[in-house]
Amino acid sequence: MIFDRILSHGRKEREVVEDIKRHIELLCSACDTFRNSLEKRDKNLMWEVVELEREADSVRREVISHIYEGAFLPYLRPDLCKFVEIVDEVFDLLKETAFYCVENEIPEPLRDESIRVALLNFRMSDMLLISFEAMLKGEDLRERTLAVRIFEKKIDDIKLNLVKEVEQVPIENFWAGKALSDFLTNLTMISDIIEDASDHLQIINVSTR
Amino acid sequence: MWKILSGLFLGWSLGANDSANIFGTGVTTGIVRYRTATWLTAGFLMLGALVEGPKCMEVVGELSQILPLGAFCCALAAAVTMTMLTFLAIPASTSQAIIGAIIGAGILSGSADFSKLYKIVSCWIFTPICGIAAAYLLHRGLGYALNKTVKSLTRRNYFYSAGILVAGCYGAYTLGSNNVANVTGVYVGAGTLTPGMASLIGGLSIAAGVLTYSKRVMMTIGKGIVPLDPFSALVVVLAEALTLHFFTQIGVPVSSSQAVVGAVVGVGVVGDVQTISFKMLARISIGWIMTPISGGVLSYFLITLLR
Repeated sequence: MIFDRILSHGRKEREVVEDIKRHIELLCSACDTFRNSLEKRDKNLMWEVVELEREADSVRREVISHIYEGAFLPYLRPDLCKFVEIVDEVFDLLKETAFYCVENEIPEPLRDESIRVALLNFRMSDMLLISFEAMLKGEDLRERTLAVRIFEKKIDDIKLNLVKEVEQVPIENFWAGKALSDFLTNLTMISDIIEDASDHLQIINVSTR
Repeated sequence: MWKILSGLFLGWSLGANDSANIFGTGVTTGIVRYRTATWLTAGFLMLGALVEGPKCMEVVGELSQILPLGAFCCALAAAVTMTMLTFLAIPASTSQAIIGAIIGAGILSGSADFSKLYKIVSCWIFTPICGIAAAYLLHRGLGYALNKTVKSLTRRNYFYSAGILVAGCYGAYTLGSNNVANVTGVYVGAGTLTPGMASLIGGLSIAAGVLTYSKRVMMTIGKGIVPLDPFSALVVVLAEALTLHFFTQIGVPVSSSQAVVGAVVGVGVVGDVQTISFKMLARISIGWIMTPISGGVLSYFLITLLR
């Protein structure tokens, strides 16, 4: 076990790192595709978000199985797995919001703000990728984590506006209202989860120092 | 030759107990398989015993003039003392038990050399202090060097994996070189064995303890140290090994467990001085006093009984 790890010069670890990187890149693509789809009102693009979520799911499974096949020290494994699981939660929320958009039209008073949130979500996912790459190089993540927090704060402010706006939107029935409420909750929660992922990266980085 | 049986038993129990200090963390955290750890420990321990083991034999042998039967009683008294104090959960050291037993036998025969005891007792006191100092300096120095040179996560992971293996092998080597005198050094003084033969037989008995009965202690000790991060665990094993190696060069067998306890405290001091448990230090102090006294009293009575 230990001889394999030493003689392979960290091959398994490199594979895991590449897979996690691919997982975050898929998140960036999914967030970007979602934003594009909202802007262009293109429902076919929304299906791509769902496809990207499926692809990310298989990458997540690969990462976790590689980790438990012996990549990385057992001390680091739970933290790395948790990070991948947190990123996967973002994919789940994106898929839910994409499903809503496939079936429904976003009310006009909420559209612009929703696109802004989607754009900020994309920027946050991009920052998460930058943070991950920085962590691999052993760089300090404090400034990047701070940037993610600033993005999250902006989304919180937009959320307040969205809550006010949604009160003016006419609702046909209870289920339509619930679906819209869930959509807004999920859309604005994506940033919270990306922030959690970013904080977790910082924990991993500090714990290996 | 039957008189070396008590020494073999002492060696076997030392191997079963003290090997946990070397690869305990590595095994319980899944870095090294138990079997791999025990074979590595046994191999490097034998190497240490054969290459540097005779260095500490002299001090043990010169403490008192002992006959072969006395040597048998001393090793038996040390083994019984270790079992008794371990049962009472008092941290005990094989070196203190055997030295106490030899002094007890020396008092009986009127040949105890107390001038050499001064050097040995000083080394006992300095063992945990050296452990603390070595761990503190290694944590600071190696930590600084690592942060400057090995930055990448995968490289650091590789460094820790290889480091734990190398430090463990070095720890096993120093355990063999330092502690083999505890097991068979008394027979060199009694003229039963030559230093080379004593190193071989002592090393084999310790290795037998490692290979046959170390799993439970390794799991218990290892799990107790698990909260340490990989770097601190590596530093603890390295500091222990350096401490033992230092005292081997002086020629005094010391306690590997006390070196480990000192190293864990040293790593704690890097974070905060308040991590030192005075309750734990008090328990070690009780062990310091109880172990040699129990060993001495037991060997005194055993020799009187068998004479």
